[in-house]
Formats: sequence, C-alpha cells, structure tokens
Amino acid sequence: MKFRALIFLLIPSLLAAQSVAELQKSFEKKVTEFTLANGLHFIVIERHEAPVVSFHTYVNVGSVDDPGGQTGLAHMFEHMAFKGTPTIGTTNWPAEKAAMDAVEQVYDRLDAERNKGPHADPKKIEAISNELAAAMEKADNYVEPNEYDRVVESNGGQDMNASTAEDSTNYFYSFPSNRIELWFLLESSRFLNPVFREFYKERDVVREERRMRTESSSQGKLIEALSATAFAAHPYHNEAIGWASDIEHFRRPDAERFYKQYYVPANITLGIAGDVSPMEARRLAEKYFGRLVARPLPSQYRTVEPLQEGEKTATIASPAQPFVIIAYKRPDRHSPDAAALAVLDAVLSDGRTGIIYKDMVRDKQIALGAGSAAEFPGGKYPSLFLFYVAPSSGHTSEENQKELDRIIQQVKTTKVDDATLQRVKTKLRAGLIRKLDSNAGLASELCSYYVNYGDWRKLFTELDEYNKVTADDVARVANTYLVKEHRTVAYTYVPDAGSQKEGAK
Amino acid sequence: MTRRAGFIAGFLAVLLASVGLAQTQTVPPYQQLAYPPLKQVKIPDPVSFMLKNGMRVLLLEDHELPLINGLALIRTGNLFDPPDKRGLSSVMADVLRSGGTSVKTGDQIDEELENIAASVESSMGESSASISFSGLKETSGTVLGIFKAVMTDPAFRQEKIDLTISQAHSGIDRRNDDPQGIAEREIASILYGRDNSYGWNIEHADLARIRRDDVQEFYHRYYFPRNIMLAIYGDFSTADMKDQLEKLFADWTPEQPPVPAFPPVTAKPAPGVFLAEKADVTQTFFSLGLLSGTLRDPDYPALEVAMDVLGSGFTSRLMSQIRTKMGLAYSIGAGWGAAYDHPGTFRIVGSTKSPSTADAILAARAELEKMRTAEVSEEELKTAKDAVLNSFVFFFDSPAKTLSRVLRYQYFGYPNDFLFEYQKKVAAVTRADVLRVMRQHVNPANLSIVAVGNPAEFGKPLTGIGKVEKIDLSIPPIPAAMAPVK
Repeated sequence: MKFRALIFLLIPSLLAAQSVAELQKSFEKKVTEFTLANGLHFIVIERHEAPVVSFHTYVNVGSVDDPGGQTGLAHMFEHMAFKGTPTIGTTNWPAEKAAMDAVEQVYDRLDAERNKGPHADPKKIEAISNELAAAMEKADNYVEPNEYDRVVESNGGQDMNASTAEDSTNYFYSFPSNRIELWFLLESSRFLNPVFREFYKERDVVREERRMRTESSSQGKLIEALSATAFAAHPYHNEAIGWASDIEHFRRPDAERFYKQYYVPANITLGIAGDVSPMEARRLAEKYFGRLVARPLPSQYRTVEPLQEGEKTATIASPAQPFVIIAYKRPDRHSPDAAALAVLDAVLSDGRTGIIYKDMVRDKQIALGAGSAAEFPGGKYPSLFLFYVAPSSGHTSEENQKELDRIIQQVKTTKVDDATLQRVKTKLRAGLIRKLDSNAGLASELCSYYVNYGDWRKLFTELDEYNKVTADDVARVANTYLVKEHRTVAYTYVPDAGSQKEGAK
Repeated sequence: MTRRAGFIAGFLAVLLASVGLAQTQTVPPYQQLAYPPLKQVKIPDPVSFMLKNGMRVLLLEDHELPLINGLALIRTGNLFDPPDKRGLSSVMADVLRSGGTSVKTGDQIDEELENIAASVESSMGESSASISFSGLKETSGTVLGIFKAVMTDPAFRQEKIDLTISQAHSGIDRRNDDPQGIAEREIASILYGRDNSYGWNIEHADLARIRRDDVQEFYHRYYFPRNIMLAIYGDFSTADMKDQLEKLFADWTPEQPPVPAFPPVTAKPAPGVFLAEKADVTQTFFSLGLLSGTLRDPDYPALEVAMDVLGSGFTSRLMSQIRTKMGLAYSIGAGWGAAYDHPGTFRIVGSTKSPSTADAILAARAELEKMRTAEVSEEELKTAKDAVLNSFVFFFDSPAKTLSRVLRYQYFGYPNDFLFEYQKKVAAVTRADVLRVMRQHVNPANLSIVAVGNPAEFGKPLTGIGKVEKIDLSIPPIPAAMAPVK
C-alpha cells in the first residue's frame, strides 16, 4: 500500500491542488457576471470554439416549496412554463382569456357543490361537470398548440427541457449563436407573462407522468416510500412529482399564486455559455429581462425535521426482484462535515475501487449492483446519506444488509489508507476538469453553485475542502451520521413469500 | 403562514406589474427578429493513416482541456454469437477488461487506472465492439499502455468469466421488472424474429454453455489489427502520437481471415396485437412497429422529415394530439430508427393509464394513418425542415462529435460527406415526398403492436384493435441436466 502511495506522488503537477487554482484563474477570464436592477442575476461563460450557445434558467424553488395539500405544484408550474404568453400560443388572446376565466367560474361552482360533502347533489355535480368540459373545449379552441416549443425547435433549438427537483427548478436548451436574441425574448416573456392555458389537460399529463415514473416502477414506489418514512415533518417527505390526489385537485389560480410568490427576479439566476459576447448579453438582458418587476424574495423557512429517535422501516410488496435502500440522516450541504461526507461516499462507492463494489459485487458476489449517494433527495436542507443494493439471484436482501452493516462498521473503526484517500481526491479533481468542456453543463453548474453557495467559484474551491479531508475525518463522519437509530430501511418483498419480509428486517 | 404571506406578496405583485408594464420599453414579437448569418463553423479534419500492423487510425487535436480520449471499433458483434451460446460476445467483451492481462489482474488495472483518474472500457454491440479510454494528458502514456494491453493481451481469468456470467443470470431474472424494457424487447423479437441476435433473448441455458475456450476463441477470431479502427482526440501533437502508436503496436501483428459480412435481416411481418400481462403497473406501455430501413435508403431524408411531423419533439402530431389535446400520455413519440447496416425498426412508443390503453393506441394509429392519407401542411413541413437545417451546427460543436462521426462513417463504409448530402436532401423534401414515402414504406396492415400492462383495468378490450396474442414472459430455467457455471 505504501508503495502505491509513492507512485501517486510521482503523478504530474496538473493533479495538484495548486494547478486547480491556476485552472480557476484562467477560467475566471471567461466568466462575466451582472445583476439587473430587478434582482435577476446573469452568469456569462465565453467559449468561442463553435457558434452555439447553451442557456440555463435556475429558479431557486422546488417541491419543498409546494403548499400544503398541493404537493407537486412547483412541477405543475414548470409544465405550464411551456404553454406560452398572451402573444405566443393563441389565435385570439382576449377571447381566449375570457373563455379561460369562464372555465374557472364553472369550476368554482363545481367545487362549491362538491364541498357540501354528503349533502352534495350528484346530479348537479354531473351537470356542472358537463358544463365544465364544454367550457374547457371552448377555451382550447383559441389555442395555437405548442407554439412556444415550435418556435424553439424550428430555430434549431436543441435539448429543450426542464426539470423540477426538491430544491430547484431548471429550464434549459441551446441555440445556434445567431439566435441569442430569440432566447432572451422567449425566456423573459414566459416568466414575465405566463399564460396557464390548457391547464387541466396538462394536469392529466402530469398525472400520467406520475403513473409512469412512480406507480409503474417498484423502485419508484420504494423511493417514494423511503422519503415519506424518513422525513416526518420536513417537505422532503414528498416526492417532487407530488401525491396523486393533490395533482388531481390543482386549480389554475393555485399555480398562478405559486408563480407570483416564487418566480420573483431575485430568485432566478441565468447561465449563458458558449459563443456569446458579455456586452451583448448585458444589452439584451436589460432590454428583455429588464421588463420583469422586482418583488420580495419568498421565505426560506421550512419545517425543521426533528431528531429521529429510532430506526424506521418502509416496505413495498412487489413481484419484482428485490431492491433495498438504507438511508441515514445527514446535515445540509453547508455543514462543515459536507466535504468529509462527499469523500466518504467516494471511498465507499466510486468506480470499481469503491469498497462496496469490491466487497459485495466483485468478491462476495451477493449483489448485482450496490452503492451509496451522499445527498438525497436534496442538499439545501438536512437530507439523507443512502445505500442501495440490488441483490444477486440466490442472495437475500437480509444477507446484503448484514454485509453493508459490516462495511459501515469497518469504515467507522478502520482508517481509510492513504492510497485510497489520494485516489478519491485525484478523481474528484479530474472530475472537475471533465465538466469544463460542455456549454450546457457549465451553464447549469455555475448557476447551481452561485445559488447554493453564493459564488460559482465554489465549483473550484470545494476541491480545497476535499483536499483537507483526512482519514480521521472520514471515520469521524461515519461514526457521527451512520447511526442505526437515525436510519430508515426500505425494501421490496414478494407478497406471497412472507418469510422474505421477515428476513429483510 | 406561508400561504397568507404569499397572498399578500401576490397581491402587491399584481399592482407592481401593472405599473411596471407601463414603463418598460416595447419588445418586438419573435416573428420580427432578424438573425445575423451564422458564423462559419470550423470543421476539423482528422488525420487518417494506417499503422504498420494494419490497424487504421484517426487523430484529431483538441487543446482546450488537458485530456486525451480514444475509441477503437472492432468489426464484430452480437450478430456473431453462436445460436446455442447467445451472449458469448458480450461476456467476452466484459471479461476482456475485467479479466486482466498476462501481467496484471483486472483488479490491479482498476486500481492503477483510478489512481490517475483514467478509464479503459470494453463493450459489445450488435454490429460493432468497442474499447475506449480517457485520461489526463500527463498520464496518457500509462493509459495508452493499459489500453493496448487490454486490447492485445487479455488473460480472460476464469473467476471473472464466472462473475460476468453470474451477473448475467441475475440480469435475466430481473428482465421483467421494467415494463418499458419489456415493450422494447418484445417488439424487437416480433419484428426481427427470435432466431437472430436482433430479436432473441439470452437465456440461462445459453450462459450455462459458455466456456473459457469459447471466450478466447471469439476474441482471437475478431480482435486483430486489420479488423480495428482507432480514433484518438485531445491534447496531443499528431506527429508525436503517430510515433507513439507505431511503437506501441509494433509487436502486435496477428492475422486472421477477413471477417464475413453480418447475417442479413429477413423481414417477417407479424401483424396483430401482442399483450404482455403485468399486474403491478397503473400504466400500459405500448409500442407500434415495423421494420424500417437503412440510412442509405434514398427516401431516408424524406422519412426523417415525416417522422419529425409525426412523432419527434414537443411539436409533433402525436405529442399535440395524444399528450397536449387528449391528456392521455406524458411520453409519446415516433422514430424511423434507420440503422447503418441493416433495416432498423420504425416505432411509435408511449404509455398511458390502464383504462385508456385502447384509446391511446387507436389514436396513435389514427395519426399514422393521417400521414398516409393527406399531405402535411406547408407549416408542418417548414417547421420540420427548419428544425433539421437550423440545428445542423450542433453536429459540429465539438471535435469529439466530428471525430466519432467520421469513425462511424468509415466503419460502416459511408462517404465522409454523407451528412452534407443528407442536409441537401432534407432541404429539397416536398409535401408530396412526405406523403409518397409514408405510403411506400409504412404499411399499417403489417403493424405489430405490443402492449405491456394490466388487462384487468383496460377500459376497452384490445380486440377492438386487432387479433390479440399473449406474450409468455416466463423465464426458462436452466435445464436440470446442466449444472450452472459457478
């Protein structure tokens, strides 16, 4: 082992921390930042290698901000952000607006009747429901379907999509660099004046998305059960997609309120990477995004998850082959222990030299796949450090769980050797270099680091923090956080084999 | 608390917004934007040559980051698997890397590579195998050395063959857990037939027959210099790299007879509805398919335009109708699926809640019919063509993309300017072309439809779509007479 450590010392200078500082210095020259008077922040990264530009809009809102009883609303709004504006997506806006408002009036009457509970009149409900369907159809007649998407696609837009996570909502695509102004126009317009047309059809689409991602996948169901069990009070309790019945009851005004509260300029950061001039970007930003009006930032307070005082279990009965997740409570990404936890994660499961792969997959062969994740489902708030295992055929979840417990005990009591620690740090540094050659990746990463740490440079400087992590730190955080009383064990079992359920306990 | 605060903030915002709107400068509608001409794209030209041992090489310098990456294509594939040992080629490719070389075990190679944050990987496809590497510039000598050793001196240690095969057994046991995966697999089996690697499943019994001798024999038959193309890009000097490669591979000179052509695909239309029952899902995953064609087909550009209108992207007819208007699906789309060297598969793929299974499938089929009965609109044609032509620059936005495309073209025997010819042909496609190719190449009478879902909850029976045949998902166990390899 000592011999290997020596070999490492001979590895050339690029991998040294000092070189990362140099890399950062040369990268600084490519980055320009500015903030508009309304609070919108822009990060421009110049890469003139090819006449293309990637755009990223990072909104500091996620499913943790979903109102009570309306889980999935942040995600629902994300879908509505593609529906256009008063000038994009309609054949006649005044008429469409009137028809959309008529839909809400009928829907209000329907809700009023339904709210009577046992006193509601089923015949009235049926009659109003029919009226509602007719009102929606009328509004839909004014829709120019998917015009927003069509403008982007026909102008050569690439990889347009969006995602909603627990901590953030992200919108992104790329254009040929002569179309930069079109992005400024389209992106500013959809957040200045979103129109929530076809809201209820899109609600059905989102409901289908939940069926696809969560309900028709045993692993999807297991992850949902894990979050719902591990978090008693904090909104990480809910998946970003939301619960089925909440989705089915969204109303258009709910999404509008959500937009007004969270899509305020100071809550939005925009990344632009590629063949772009920062001066031109600033001019266009003022012209198009200057139209957004400053509004106060929303509250960041979310219910604090109380201390977990005993092991919890979540199970999903499923005919699928077994899958196990074991998740321990960990602090948020600003904790002084965050770097040590990242290094612990890499020591455990990065590549083919991670302890878990070597032990469980390669040598003992009890798992088809196994690993860890340092931060789930987000990092803005205290979250989970988790382990997952897909047992090999003929090997049980229980057997795998015991082996994982043994490995965890090992990292708590035996210090990680120098060669392993150095290897992990080298890989973390090289990982950074490999991130720097993609416009889309850069636009996204710099926004994310800026929002979450206050400065995009953290992308580089976090390597210093990793570098300072010692073998003692790794053992210490394992002892501090990988504690049985603070964990949730989630696993699937085949329902008609009851012994398996007992076995995995 | 939060909700109330939100209400007040929202109320204020409405007030402010109306004030703000009055103050802002007017911006033009998007239709009035004028775009400057796109800057000339610099398309790098890879240097192409042959090593003394017969291996062909493409080199492309890219000095933006201190990295060197490479990809070797080996002319072989799953298509050469023996029918009684399906999966042999994939086992070979896996153990080529994990089984180590004559001087190092695979585990030692793992450590050595990861110590310098580098990688060497081996994989097997239908009609090409690959070995790739990636490393930081300063360690490229070490990485190239390991890459060469893996390619030329694999040891195929028995314990790693056992590991790969045991994992493949576990994989087979898990193959019915993902409904989308089932739909993909079964439509391929139906369209290609189950007697060739495009359509067959690897079973436990196949794996149990694979021996180390088979693995070595497969390797020696296909991994020789004249059967390999190597492409390298990154931060190096072409002249130095040329020398380095010549020296590195000087001692590797095995010869083999030329590798025969891949077995041809025989069309076996199997019209009808094929149902795989899965009780633990709330959606039905469906796939409507036909054998399609190759990229050489003169109608390929028109077919791609047709597919853009029918089913690619958020603006397609399938998306507009089944997702946006009917709200029946989150995911729905279509693709022609042309392949380089054999007929690919045209497929419409989507998923919908169990009760709307028949409605969604019928709606998808109706959209396909419409493409064959009337010309697409001028606007649809323009959108589809503009999307292809305006995004063309993205084919050239990194040297890596250019190099990997040139490598594929050379591997499959396509002209280097294939993409530019394609661009010209797309620009010339007319509405009449789209209608003609849809009529000529898509025969709905031959359409195979696979549905994976829970029929107990289907709103309408699938018999309304066509004759329904059940798919047997059971996994054949290893015959008792054959001891599992362990």
